[in-house]
Amino acid sequence: MRRADILARAGRNLRQAKVRTLLTALAISVGAFTITLALAAGTGGKQYTDNLIKNNGDASSLTVVAKNSSQDSSGPKKYGANESNASQGLLGDADIKKIQSVAGVESVTPMYNVGATYMVGPNGDKYDTSISIKVDQTAVTLGAGTLAHNQPGTGSVVIPEDYVKPLGYGSDTSAIGKAITLHVDKTTIPGLPTEGKDMSFTIAAVSKKSDTVLHYQAEVLLSPADGKAIYDYQTPAQAANQYYGVNVRVASGTDVKTVQTTIEKKGDYQVFSLQDVQQVLFTFVNVVMGGAAGFGALAILASIFGIINTQYISVLERTQQIGLMKALGARRKDIGKLFRYEAAWVGFLGGLIGTVGALLVGLFNPMIAKALNLDKGTELLVFQPLTSVVLILALVLVAVLAGYFPSRKASRLDPIEALRVE
Amino acid sequence: MYGKKKNTFTALSNVSFAVPDGEITAIVGKSGSGKSTLMHVMSGLDHVSEGAVLVNGENLSQMKQKNIDAFRAHQMSFIFQSFFVQGNETCYDNVSLPLEIANVSRKDRKAMIETALEAVEMSEKKKSKAKDLSGGQKQRLAIARAIVNRPKILFADEPTGNLDSTTGEHVEKLLFNYARKNNANLIVVTHDPDLAARCDRRIYVKDGKIEKMEGGKA
Repeated sequence: MRRADILARAGRNLRQAKVRTLLTALAISVGAFTITLALAAGTGGKQYTDNLIKNNGDASSLTVVAKNSSQDSSGPKKYGANESNASQGLLGDADIKKIQSVAGVESVTPMYNVGATYMVGPNGDKYDTSISIKVDQTAVTLGAGTLAHNQPGTGSVVIPEDYVKPLGYGSDTSAIGKAITLHVDKTTIPGLPTEGKDMSFTIAAVSKKSDTVLHYQAEVLLSPADGKAIYDYQTPAQAANQYYGVNVRVASGTDVKTVQTTIEKKGDYQVFSLQDVQQVLFTFVNVVMGGAAGFGALAILASIFGIINTQYISVLERTQQIGLMKALGARRKDIGKLFRYEAAWVGFLGGLIGTVGALLVGLFNPMIAKALNLDKGTELLVFQPLTSVVLILALVLVAVLAGYFPSRKASRLDPIEALRVE
Repeated sequence: MYGKKKNTFTALSNVSFAVPDGEITAIVGKSGSGKSTLMHVMSGLDHVSEGAVLVNGENLSQMKQKNIDAFRAHQMSFIFQSFFVQGNETCYDNVSLPLEIANVSRKDRKAMIETALEAVEMSEKKKSKAKDLSGGQKQRLAIARAIVNRPKILFADEPTGNLDSTTGEHVEKLLFNYARKNNANLIVVTHDPDLAARCDRRIYVKDGKIEKMEGGKA
C-alpha cells in the first residue's frame, strides 16, 4: 500500500472514533503544553536576564580591586615583605601600569572617590547631593537627553529625574543644556571647616528609574576627566594616586574571561566581571526551566500508556477490518503501518493542541509583566517556532513508538481467525 | 488443484481436483465438513502441511508470504456470508480498499471504482455510509469491492446465506455474470443445493474428504 493511502485511511479511522482520539491527544497535549511553556519561560527569562545585565553593567568591563589579605589562606604576611600597594587594599599607579600591559586591555580608569557638599540649580536653593564618576559604559535609562557611550562628556553631567523639580528646571527636557553648580570642599572629612569652590556643569541628560536596574542610585554622574579634576582638588597629596579599585575596558573582540584570568595572575588582584553574574543568573533560569520541562516529560510518559491502551482497544474493535485487509492481500507491514500512523496522528494532534494552548497563554504576556511590576513591553514568555516544530515532531515519534506493540498485535492477527469474528 | 491439510486434527485429506479457467465451481458440504478450510487453503490464507496448491503451475504453498499477499491482491477476491463491509466508510472508500492494497494510483482508482459500482447498480449510493445500506445492498457493495480489481479467481463463502431468496438471486446473477464475462473462476462455498445446482461443477465434501464430484466444464 502507498504511504499516502495508509495515512489517509489512518486519519479516517481516527475520525470515526472522535472522542477517543481527542481524549488521547489531550493527554499528550498536557505534556506538550507544559514543555512549551517551560521552554518559552526559559527563553524569556534568559532574554530578561540579559537585559537586566546590560542595564546594570557593561559586559566588556572588569572591576579590579586589591585582594584583601584576610582572604588569603596562607596566613599573615611579614611586615615589609610586600611592597605593593595591593597588600594594603589599595591600588596605585604601578598596579595600573601592570594591568595596562595585559593583552586585550583597552584602558584602565581608576575609581576616584569624590564628593560634593551641595548643588545649586536655577532657583538658587542648595541641596545635599551625592556625586559619582561614570567610569564604565553601563547603559543608563534616560528620561531626556542623549549620551555617547553611556558616559557624559567632559564638562557635562547626568542628573536624576528626582532632582529636576526641586532644582527648578521645570521638566526633564527643559533641563537639558542648562547649568548646574556643584560645590566641592577640599577635604572630604566632615566637620572641619575647609576651603571649597563652585564648579559649573552642563546637564547632558536626565536619568530615570527602570525595573531592570537592580540598584538605581539617585546621583549626579560626572565624566572621568571632571571626576579626576575634583579628585585632584579634594585629595591631599599624601593620599593621592591610591585607589580602592580600577575599571578595565576590554578591547572589543577580545575574550573577557581570558583577560580576567590574566589580570588575576598578575598580582594580588580580585577581578569581577559581569559574566560571573550572568552565569549565576542563567544557571538559575536553566534549573527552573529544566524542572518545569521535566514535569512535562513526565506528563508525556503518562500519556504514552494512554496511546498504547487506546490502540490496543482499537485493534480489538477492528479485528474484522484487519482480517479483511489481509484476505485482500494487505501485507503485514501495511497493517502495522496503518496502526502506527494512527498513533502518529494522535501524537501530532496532541502536540498541536498543547503548543497552541501554550501560545494562547503567551497572549497574557502584558498581564504577567504588569502583575510582576515589570517594564511595559517586557515579555517573559518567548516562543521559538523551531522549538515547537521539533517538539511536535518528537511527540509524533514518541506516539509511533508507543503504537509499536498494538500495531504488532494487529499485523500478526491470523486473517482466518479475524474473519470468524462476527 | 490439489490440497491437503493436517493440523492437530486433519481437516482435509486426500483432496485432489483441478479447476479449469472460467469454471463456476461449488464446494458443497455441511458445517464442519472442511469446505471453508478448503477455500482458505486454495486462496493461500491457510497453509497445507502436506501436498500442494498449484495456480497456473505455480505452487502457492511454497511461495513467500510477500508473494502470496501480492497474488491475493492482484488475482483473487472474496465474498463473505456476513459481507464484511466497513460500516463507517462510504461505499466509494469500501470499494477503493483492494485497489489501495494493490498499489493502484489514486488517479486510476476513480474510474475503476465507478465501473464496479455501476456493475452492481450502486452508483447513486457512492457517497452513502455502508452501515445505512440494506443487506442486499451490502452484499452488492461487497461484490463491487471483489470485482473492482478484475480478479481471475473469485471466492464466495455462502454469498446468499444472509439474504432472502429474491435478493439472493440478484446477488448470484451478478457473480455469475462477472465470471462468465471475464472467463474468471468463481468458487462458491455453500450448503444450498439450489445454488450449487446452477454451478458448472459440484464438489461434495464430507469429513475432510471428497464425497463425490458432479458435472464439470469440458
